[in-house]
Amino acid sequence: MMGAVMLGWIALQASTSPALQHLRTGLDAEKSGQPDAAIVEFQKAGELDPKLAAAFVDLGAVLIEKRDYAAAIPPLKHALELDPNLEATHRLIGYALLAQGYATEAIPHLEKAHEDDVLGIALYEAGRLQEASNVLQKAVARNPNDPELLYYYGRVSGLLSKQVFDELEARFPDSARAHEMMAQDYAALRDVPAAEHEFLEGLRLRPQTAGLHLELGELYARAQDWNKAEEQFRLETELQPGSAEAYYRLGEALLQLGKFGEARVALVHSDQLKQDMPETLYMLGKAAASDGDSALAQKCWTHVLKLENDTPLAAQAHFGLAAIYRKQGKTADADREMEQFRKLQRNAGQEDQSPK
Amino acid sequence: MGLVLPEFDVKHPRGLDFKHVNSPTPQKYLIETMGGGVALFDYNNDGLLDIFLVNSGQLANPMRTPETFDRNEPRNWNRLYRQNADGNFTDVTKDAGLANAGDSNYGMGVAVGDYDNDGFPDLYVTNYGKNILYHNNGDGTFTDVTARAGVAAGGWSCSAGFFDYDNDGHLDLFVTRYMEWDTQHSKICGNEWHTYCPPATFPATTSILYRNRGDGTFEDVSQHSGIASSKGRALGVSFADYDDDGLTDIFVSNDGMRQFLFHNNGNGTFTERGLEAGAALTADGKPLSGMGTVFQDYDNDGRPDILVTVLPREVYALFHNEGDGSFSYRSLEAGLGTLTAASSGWGVGLEDFDNDGWKDLFVAQSHVLDNVEQIDAMLHYKETPLFALNHQGRFERADSGVATPLAGRGAAFGDLNNDGWMDAVVTSLGGEPLVLMNHGGTENWLTISLRGTHSNRDGLGARVKVNGQVRFATTAGSYISASDKRLHFGLGDAKLSTVEIRWPSGVNQVLENVKANQFLEVREPEKR
Repeated sequence: MMGAVMLGWIALQASTSPALQHLRTGLDAEKSGQPDAAIVEFQKAGELDPKLAAAFVDLGAVLIEKRDYAAAIPPLKHALELDPNLEATHRLIGYALLAQGYATEAIPHLEKAHEDDVLGIALYEAGRLQEASNVLQKAVARNPNDPELLYYYGRVSGLLSKQVFDELEARFPDSARAHEMMAQDYAALRDVPAAEHEFLEGLRLRPQTAGLHLELGELYARAQDWNKAEEQFRLETELQPGSAEAYYRLGEALLQLGKFGEARVALVHSDQLKQDMPETLYMLGKAAASDGDSALAQKCWTHVLKLENDTPLAAQAHFGLAAIYRKQGKTADADREMEQFRKLQRNAGQEDQSPK
Repeated sequence: MGLVLPEFDVKHPRGLDFKHVNSPTPQKYLIETMGGGVALFDYNNDGLLDIFLVNSGQLANPMRTPETFDRNEPRNWNRLYRQNADGNFTDVTKDAGLANAGDSNYGMGVAVGDYDNDGFPDLYVTNYGKNILYHNNGDGTFTDVTARAGVAAGGWSCSAGFFDYDNDGHLDLFVTRYMEWDTQHSKICGNEWHTYCPPATFPATTSILYRNRGDGTFEDVSQHSGIASSKGRALGVSFADYDDDGLTDIFVSNDGMRQFLFHNNGNGTFTERGLEAGAALTADGKPLSGMGTVFQDYDNDGRPDILVTVLPREVYALFHNEGDGSFSYRSLEAGLGTLTAASSGWGVGLEDFDNDGWKDLFVAQSHVLDNVEQIDAMLHYKETPLFALNHQGRFERADSGVATPLAGRGAAFGDLNNDGWMDAVVTSLGGEPLVLMNHGGTENWLTISLRGTHSNRDGLGARVKVNGQVRFATTAGSYISASDKRLHFGLGDAKLSTVEIRWPSGVNQVLENVKANQFLEVREPEKR
């Protein structure tokens, strides 16, 4: 808008016509925070000299400031009829049109104004997702801390992803992946029987599909059906012997089932595949402690605390260590770990109200 | 051993026509979902267990002050059912003087104990409102002696239990209180679906310890004893001597926070040692939604362990007594990870249902939210009870015989038909109670009644060991319920047993070559 204003000022320096006088008065009024007076002056300027583009541009700009987008569009269109190359005017009318929901109409103006941020949003609103994604990706790269841009970029990416999945489901409804996707939808709705049915159908169609057993196992785990979860995680480890995640999940299921020795084996394997994972180490410590190997538990939980020192997992590791030290008769060490546990609980706002 | 699995006949015995009234409202008053206590006790000493069922009352939408629950209306009465010789029941509520439960009281639970050692079990009914102590007059009637006894409490009481913490021969009374809550300060939680609020929404409160003066009155010693120094959200209470010092300790199950283990210091005070003893949190240091609790020895090592029933995705907590004053979290080792992770538990018992010498697990189950399926399709409001047989310390699911899910709450245990096989009564929130009669089998058993002389008359708090198995004499535990005071032991194929009793007075007694398959009354010997 300031570009349009400057145009008006430059023109004013060289002329004293009545139209220009109103334009100058209008600019003064705008500068002094009187938009309504400015509007009247810009309108008079436009009436006196219908070819004075600056009057229409400034009128449109003030109306946009007043969020009267519908009223701003006609003068801005008129200004562009007088001078189609006014970049600032394209920007203004692009904003106004987009604000009114005319995304498709706004796009050419925003393109001419090189306004990528708003152009990306307009493309999204117009349903041109791929173009929107390209434009917003560049805009986010330039302004990585703009929450609006991040939101729209995320929305567009999600919709693009959904578009692809919808196409997959429409074109290949009986494919393993289509069933997998339906299963994921049902799982999100916590409809275990329907999700299970779709996962199993996917597996029937393509038994070797990577990740399907893992997902089905996770479904069973969320439903607390640990026997079935173990079976699926084990199948995933057979399919993907290099998957630390699959071994971790298998270890978790075995632990829940009270098969501590087997849980240790799975978790050790997971740890070997992907080292320094705090969750794996914590779980391994738990399996070891339950299996009576307090030395390994102590080692694992101490390792967790080297990786994390102020997380909920760290609090759990302190709690576990306190129990080990107490059993060993190391009261001072147990008390120290307990104090660390309590401190982290307090920091997380989880300590109960009981005076202790 | 254990060749024949126990089977239950799920019965609605003739005459037992109780229907619990909880009056759920759109206001989602928390009390609506918490009631349903039951007691199994022989009020007239005819040798047959009778059933007392606690009703809740009528709620208005919304409630106004002063709060009234229409308890004078017969459908809202608590009910006492006398068992007849033919196994049927007769409603004796009115004749027994138990009809009027107090119009400003919304009923919760019940405790049973002979607080005046007159040989007739007395009733203590907990309420949202004022609690009531009914003295058993010995002639089939009861008298409300609350005011004289000084045990009305107030606020919102849930489970309660009689025990003798100072071993003076007079039963004292512990009363759990849930939270600081009333209908005028209630809240509705949830978004799309309105739900009962989680416990942390409301302030914690103190439980109450009443000391029995021995003259029919009680003294509130909550402050002096140290009980009141730990604020909780207490729902369940159970008693046992966990550190073998001859003094009964207290475990309190709290909802949504750490659990309390009150160690009896022997000088009239208690120290809350849950955290230090490893009985407050899960192995991961996480709090529990503690509801029901039982404090008995599940693995036959002679030491009482603690079991706490909780909400789904937590796993019922089993704290194993290590024998050095500490506990270890053993839920997964005992098989409870698979058995209980998807369930919500309330009333609970560790009883030897198949008489194989190992205490089995029975839990009344149901989610706390009546619309939980709409919020989380993986969970269920109504559930069948959990019945799990104990195979040398590891529990495995068995058939409770209950085919239709119910909103289980209270659970009490006892041998209703005196056949040597433990039966159960489960209450259903807003529904009819279920009586589960154990078919029995071929294994041997022994049921012991204690007759205290120096100790309290029923010997509550005694440690009784039979062929290596230990039970602590109590009527408390479970959730808002009271069980048969008799101590039941399964003996497997043993025809004889050795009975070792450590009475609360400190007297030790041993009986050798006790024949199996009998109801044995043991009188506490004179002190030497």
